[in-house]
Amino acid sequence: MSASKSRPQWVLPVLIGLLVFAALPAVLASFDRGYFYQIANLALIFVLLSASMHLVTGVAGLLHLGHAAFYGVGAYTAALLTTKLGLGFTWTLPLSGLVAALVAFLVALPTMRLVSIYFAVATLAIGQMLYLVMLNWVEFTKGPNGIIVTKGLELFGFSLSGRLATYYTVAAVVVLCVVAIGRLSHSYYGNALRSIREDDQCADAMGVRTVRLKMEAFTLSAFFAGVAGSLWAHMTGYISPGDFKFSESILILAMVVVGGLGSLPGAVIGALLLILLPEGLRGLGDFRNIMVGMVMFLSILFLPKGLLGEVSALRLVRQQLGAAWRRTDNGIGIGWR
Amino acid sequence: MTLRLAALTATAVVGLSVSAHAADVKIGYQLPLTGDTAQYGQDFRKAAEIALDEFKAADKPFKVEIVFEDSRSDAKEGVNIARKFVDDKAIVGVLGDFTSGVSMAAAQVYKEAGLAQLSQTASHPDYTKISKYQFRNIATQAQEGPYNAKWMASKGFKNVAVIAEQTDWGQSVVAGYTEAVKAGGGQVAFSEFFNRGLKDYRSLISKIERAKPDAIYTGFFYEDGAQFLKQLQQLGVKTPVYSTSAAYSPKLLELSGDAADGLHLTSNFLPTNPDPAVQKFVAEWKKRSNGAEPGQFPAQAYDAVRIMLAAVEKAQPNPTRESVRDALAQTKDFPGITGKTTFDADREANKELTKVEVKGGQFAPVKE
Repeated sequence: MSASKSRPQWVLPVLIGLLVFAALPAVLASFDRGYFYQIANLALIFVLLSASMHLVTGVAGLLHLGHAAFYGVGAYTAALLTTKLGLGFTWTLPLSGLVAALVAFLVALPTMRLVSIYFAVATLAIGQMLYLVMLNWVEFTKGPNGIIVTKGLELFGFSLSGRLATYYTVAAVVVLCVVAIGRLSHSYYGNALRSIREDDQCADAMGVRTVRLKMEAFTLSAFFAGVAGSLWAHMTGYISPGDFKFSESILILAMVVVGGLGSLPGAVIGALLLILLPEGLRGLGDFRNIMVGMVMFLSILFLPKGLLGEVSALRLVRQQLGAAWRRTDNGIGIGWR
Repeated sequence: MTLRLAALTATAVVGLSVSAHAADVKIGYQLPLTGDTAQYGQDFRKAAEIALDEFKAADKPFKVEIVFEDSRSDAKEGVNIARKFVDDKAIVGVLGDFTSGVSMAAAQVYKEAGLAQLSQTASHPDYTKISKYQFRNIATQAQEGPYNAKWMASKGFKNVAVIAEQTDWGQSVVAGYTEAVKAGGGQVAFSEFFNRGLKDYRSLISKIERAKPDAIYTGFFYEDGAQFLKQLQQLGVKTPVYSTSAAYSPKLLELSGDAADGLHLTSNFLPTNPDPAVQKFVAEWKKRSNGAEPGQFPAQAYDAVRIMLAAVEKAQPNPTRESVRDALAQTKDFPGITGKTTFDADREANKELTKVEVKGGQFAPVKE
């Protein structure tokens, strides 16, 4: 009994791992088309962005309308560290995350006591503010001229700019981050965040430090967005403020909502859908945007809780990935049911 | 995850079936057919189709096909398209993108793959410096700024105000012009950037007026230009306004009405030019756009496509990416409708500029 119940816990992670690190690269290598690699990498970066927003918007329930700005802060940190200090990806990867987190922490200080729509408007303003800094601080960020990032992906001096190497680097970083976000959202910590979403005053009364938790969720989510930014900067080789404008925040928000608010697998699926669908529909020419819009509209209409809603996601994660219900040798039941 | 596999396979199938169309040579064209800047991309496609139809009608011994891909002026999509074009071995040259930002992100891919990229509009000073594969068919502000500074100095304007949109192009407008004004002994009393799509220019206009300039030099496209000129008229400002060739569009006149009267600007394309090549293009354009006249950008796109086609023809019988690039680099005195085009050693097109003034709702070429 205990064996059959605990077995699935490693089956699904191993299957996903095999898919991401063996099956998909094998398929990509067999086609050997730069286009497919590019889309796979882009989709992975947006999986990370969507997953990081899931933490703050899905789990903690704070509507965040400026997420792309932190993605931009990460990308600009990577680009500036590379062009001004000559640092490589090895350094810019963690530093981008840290700088984005620091900026998020500073702007979060005055906004964290805001709730619901007021918080959303504050994040909208934060996003616009950071975007305008990137656009108008010409001496530092080169403004609308953008920055050519001279160094590609590398790790401790080894170049990782080959197609397969790039894919593996991006995939490894993204998977690691998503696992971390998974641990944050499917744990007692995640439950505390969910309690803030459901009723922050009640949570406060129960001894949950709501302001501090909100701040942590906001800062952590910016950290992961910053990491995604450094991936994008080094992968593309050129960034400009246009890559981080308001519409990108909305795109990421749409990924989280279409996938299912509060559901990490949903956020991943949403990101894959909204990156792969517009590319897959290229053949339709001018109609593809309408088709993408229709898919989003219909999915919200018929699946308002998302493609993989929170309840099914929690069940999936708890039974397949987390500590599923099992009995220990001395007969005590532990874990999630 | 399985969804992604399915989607990848689907795109693969679509991709394969598209490449089954046999054409001797293909040219890729990435441009914004949807999104905020779709009006430009749609014009480029129309211009490219005119150029291609003429080419086909000329009965050449080989076939050329142009593959259009919509970038939405989004760097993500631009890079995806670039990878897609590079994968298609039949594509020997690429046109586009519209904005410098997307062109430069895509350029990183073309540089690595060794595929020539000719943009009809990318004006970023560093664009052609990316690699030997980047070309452009547009006068940069390093050329246009000094030309306009000299023109304005000849009119006796010593003290000028400069405004431009906050884009890489706007930056180059101000830099190119300011440098030339200072070199010529004039002075720039005021310079400021505004965000594209600004609706209210009145505070900017009053700031300009406070500086009491002899003339205003502007870097805008027709949408912003029309707004600015109308509000200038409403406020009763009579200071002469000069602008760049980017504002040269019939839509500027349409949107601003008589507010545009007296505007001075440069252009390298005049639809009224009696040259038969120009008249042929204008007639064909009007036929396809309900009688509307073409602006400068479609003309640049038309020429860019024809320059690319000429390079492909020169590289016959077996055009490769490398030989098409070399043929492009050798382009000399190409007789386009935007003047003769020669690529210099830095793959910049040196364009001849014409002085134009708006008189009675029409663009009229002027001597000085």
